[in-house]
Amino acid sequence: MIYKIAHKEFIETLRDRRFFVAALIVGGLLLVSLALGWQHSRQIERQHEAAAEMTRKQWLSQGEKAPHSAAHYGVYAFKPQMPLAFVDRGVEAYTGVAVWLEAHKQNDFRYRSAADQTALARFGELTAATVLQILLPLLIILLAFNAFAGERESGTLRQVLSLGVSAKNLAFGKVLGLTGVLALLLVPAVLIGAVALMLNGDEAGEPFNAARFALLVIGYLLYLSVFVFVSLAVSARASSSRFALLVLLGFWITSCLIVPRAATDIARRIYPTASALEFAAQMENDIKNGTDGHNPSDKRLADLKNEAMQQYGVSRLEDLPVNFDGIALQAGEDFGNQVFDEHYGNLWNQFERQDKVRQLAAVLAPQLAASSLSRGLAGTDFAQHRDFAIAAENHRRLLIRTINEDTMKNARYGDTKYVASANLWEKVPEFQYAAPETAAILKKQSGGILVLFGWFVVSILLMIWATARMRV
Amino acid sequence: MLKAINLTKNYNGATALDDLNLNINAGEVFCLLGANGAGKTTTINLFLDFIAPDGGKALIKGFDVAEQPLETKKYLAYIPEQVNLYKNLSGLENLEYFSALAGQDRYTKEDLLGFFDEVGLRREAAENRVSTYSKGMRQKVGIAIALAKRAEALLLDEPTSGLDPKASNEFSELLKKLSGRGCAVLMATHDLFRAKESGTRVGIMRHGRLITELSTDEIGHADLERIYLENMRN
Ligand SMILES: Nc1ncnc2c1ncn2[C@@H]1O[C@H](COP(=O)(O)OP(=O)(O)OP(=O)(O)O)[C@@H](O)[C@H]1O
Ligand SMILES: [Mg+2]
Repeated sequence: MIYKIAHKEFIETLRDRRFFVAALIVGGLLLVSLALGWQHSRQIERQHEAAAEMTRKQWLSQGEKAPHSAAHYGVYAFKPQMPLAFVDRGVEAYTGVAVWLEAHKQNDFRYRSAADQTALARFGELTAATVLQILLPLLIILLAFNAFAGERESGTLRQVLSLGVSAKNLAFGKVLGLTGVLALLLVPAVLIGAVALMLNGDEAGEPFNAARFALLVIGYLLYLSVFVFVSLAVSARASSSRFALLVLLGFWITSCLIVPRAATDIARRIYPTASALEFAAQMENDIKNGTDGHNPSDKRLADLKNEAMQQYGVSRLEDLPVNFDGIALQAGEDFGNQVFDEHYGNLWNQFERQDKVRQLAAVLAPQLAASSLSRGLAGTDFAQHRDFAIAAENHRRLLIRTINEDTMKNARYGDTKYVASANLWEKVPEFQYAAPETAAILKKQSGGILVLFGWFVVSILLMIWATARMRV
Repeated sequence: MLKAINLTKNYNGATALDDLNLNINAGEVFCLLGANGAGKTTTINLFLDFIAPDGGKALIKGFDVAEQPLETKKYLAYIPEQVNLYKNLSGLENLEYFSALAGQDRYTKEDLLGFFDEVGLRREAAENRVSTYSKGMRQKVGIAIALAKRAEALLLDEPTSGLDPKASNEFSELLKKLSGRGCAVLMATHDLFRAKESGTRVGIMRHGRLITELSTDEIGHADLERIYLENMRN
């Protein structure tokens, strides 16, 4: 019986020109956005691979050179393109994907495509995530708003209900029929996604992460079914199909536009962050004057000299068994690192708190839950950006320390012309980054997953409740 | 087969149906007459459990429709003033869908076309979308659905209004055929002529009350009109 209803809904929808055209447009956009995202992702990955190879080659071929100038020369670290980044670019457009690792400084990320573009171009950036999270729900609403209300208006609802069909069967038949229509768009998209992922895996040497892809698909199916259930519930209770459409568009605008926007603004207000300029100035000030303002850098240097001489029991810096310049440089690094840890730590904590607010707001808007899960699984959320930034910073510290230790050990006191041997550079390993495992990501996303699941359960109950009390 | 016991319905304090008692046996055709707003549609809606009564009950085959809404609908077929079908589906597809939903999903295409023959619809029309059907054709599809469903009780709400005399006559013939097979029919109508022709009994309603009930074979056409008008006057 449910199958029969589903079949009829499916046939009827396909025969309806308007819906057919709308579905064609959204389905087309989904496929195009997947293809474009994949191409973009692959292009970036190629560029990064080439650039990473280049930066390593340049680093190794520095020859004999003053170590500190090599430290200033630095290297680039690139965030690898995650296999699923072509579905959801997440925060990468804003946070950037590459960082320059050099002496004295923890740098900000570069290559933020959002910063390079006008607002208009940013708006036009179509990702599969946008289509799935924003446009598909709209399509579902257009397909489903008159599911019951329209049949009530045309009188077929009375006809069907007079046959002795239960409202619940009717509702689930309609759900199934709608699923069939949506499958026409989603199945090709999933197949193309899987193929793209396998091709990506080939190229990047990443294994085809089927589990993560499956989770992403399930997450989006849960999200989209919320709109199916809510649409049918509203359609069952609304006094007219126009009113149903109005209510559902209101729900869509709230869930997909207003609440996400408001949550972002409110999060920024509750957990404000300094502007990039202020942030840099504060760090510079702390390094110069000490974190408490009572420990300026020249005083720290004097203390360091006394300490070193005391430690080795000598009274002149030139009598030290190690090179003091190396010690001073490393001490400066260590102090700077403390300052960076504190400032970046605070900044990033603030960003993560902002993310938490958005996740909390998902209780009001399922789009936020879907977006969070999607970014997490795609490897493009803020937490994973932070994870990469920390790995890159640790690599920077290793690199600078290796170089400073060479100066400590090998340079004579006062020798400003010291050059390190050409094999020093190899002692710094190539930067390797291991992205978080799927299990770790799921654990981080558990709150959002719960909210999404909650929406699913509540909306399905709402549909059952509303259809049982359907207007005839 | 169809039974109303003290059936009452109020809308916002106004009585739409007042203490209706009715018993329609298998093979009987009961025609409900009455002015606009007399409570005819309300009665039918109560039998369909589309609205809940404020008093009394409606029984189909002895089951209370409010208590067993799905069970009681198994025996029913409902034909409103305008049989509403899915206009993007063909007549045949509509018939197949409605009979499958009524629990009769074993029919072959030939069986279904047989119902088209039976109600006097051309087979060629069966494959056309319902949006191309005339009103008379739709009403006939309604009967075909009732046949396919093997309904034991028929609820008709002004089924022939707007039909030309020939179509109206054909419809009445079909109705006779159905009642001949033992179907209990409750028909609301404004057509006194049809009521006399195809009804076995008529009831005249006014302001929600059934005020007169008579057997059609005891009276002539002229009598029925006279009695009706008399009842409307006082
Ligand atoms: N949904 C409703 N809400 C409020 N009042 C209603 C509703 N449906 C019917 N009524 C009222 O109940 C009374 C009986 O209406 P009903 O539709 O049963 O009349 P009827 O005999 O079928 O009339 P008609 O010949 O015009 O079809 C009328 O006074 C009508 O205004
Ligand atoms: Mg009526």
